[in-house]
Amino acid sequence: MARRILTFLLWVGISLPAAFAEGNRDFMRETGKIYVVVVTLLVIFLGIVGYLVRLERKLTKLEHLSKDDA
Amino acid sequence: MWWKLTSVILLLYTILAGFLVPLKSGIERVEPNTARTGEQVTVRFYGYNTFFSRPSEVPIRVWLYYNSSYALMADVVRPINDTILEATFRMPINLPEGKPFVLLNALADHPTEGASILPIAFTLHQTPGSTQIPLDSAWTARPVEKLHPQKGFSFPYQNILYETIRNTYFHVPMWFVLLFLFAASVWYSLKYLRHPETEYDRRAAAYAEVGILFGLMGLASGMVWATYTWGKPWSNDIKQLMTAVALLIYFAYFVLRGSFSDPEKSARLAAVYNVFAFASLIPLLYILPRMFDSLHPGATGNPAFGSQDLDNTMRAVFYPAVVGWTLLGFWIADLRIRFQRLKDRTLGLD
Repeated sequence: MARRILTFLLWVGISLPAAFAEGNRDFMRETGKIYVVVVTLLVIFLGIVGYLVRLERKLTKLEHLSKDDA
Repeated sequence: MWWKLTSVILLLYTILAGFLVPLKSGIERVEPNTARTGEQVTVRFYGYNTFFSRPSEVPIRVWLYYNSSYALMADVVRPINDTILEATFRMPINLPEGKPFVLLNALADHPTEGASILPIAFTLHQTPGSTQIPLDSAWTARPVEKLHPQKGFSFPYQNILYETIRNTYFHVPMWFVLLFLFAASVWYSLKYLRHPETEYDRRAAAYAEVGILFGLMGLASGMVWATYTWGKPWSNDIKQLMTAVALLIYFAYFVLRGSFSDPEKSARLAAVYNVFAFASLIPLLYILPRMFDSLHPGATGNPAFGSQDLDNTMRAVFYPAVVGWTLLGFWIADLRIRFQRLKDRTLGLD
């Protein structure tokens, strides 16, 4: 699970911006590399959201479980 | 509840201030960046966030300087626009201390906008055959003096980093949260070993899990930052390696928890393991990286966050950022604990 999270975060953080960099302009290095900060924040945001989604799924499963009992 | 609100307010402040406060002006590069003694050279200064063409009563002064005693001031300074400036130097006939070449720092001082420096910007070579003593008086005629400070609330400019210095508020706090969460985890593990109550075990596991989440986000955000500053995502930097090892040790904590069918035995062994994991975390993250050369600040014995990495303007954002992210981490862990409590009760384990 952790490896999948890390792989996803790295894909968003490194591979995706690098894909945009193809051609003449590297937008990650433009305007003082400000987009690096944006992507960093995005990686953290997606990490937290990913964890919350995972927690919600577990919660849904638990809800079904207690519904079956009742 | 109040601390969750605090977390949101602090993070809002962190993101707003972290993005909106401008960077101090700096010098990106100079061209050409090399010359020989005795030449007359016109050097172009390329500035970042500079206001070279902003009018002022006194003209901009420009130096290439070796140290506090030897400096060369430009004879003619001509701003082309706000970020480009041309300075003409008459290079002296010989170099201080009879050196074959010297590395000079570039300095531009605007009377109202303040001074910017680029360390080791220019190489001056000795032309063969003119090393006669005494030293050319140009080195000491017009020393660097009466510099103007940069006014206003702004973050330091550092070459290579540029705006990514703002990552200090997003990447670095991840490791603080990780440390606090793992500390909370080991605290509850110790409590469990004294009084084996399911609640303590639940808390220890949840704090460790969310700690790992922040570790992964720290690792990923660091790799993004490294791609655009160190040149590649993974440089086998000592701190990167030791962090990876530390996270693997904590993964093993969950492997260990999952490998026992008896929940009480699992909790007990996991608690013991957690104590050892935390004990190895400190040398791995805070001692070993300082004993080796590292790309990270704080390597080879220097404390991290010296005045060069973190000035007072940055502290005003960094410390609230650490508190904000930490509270958010504990908030997420709190949800995880409450979920587990509910699950354990539903399954009749508690």
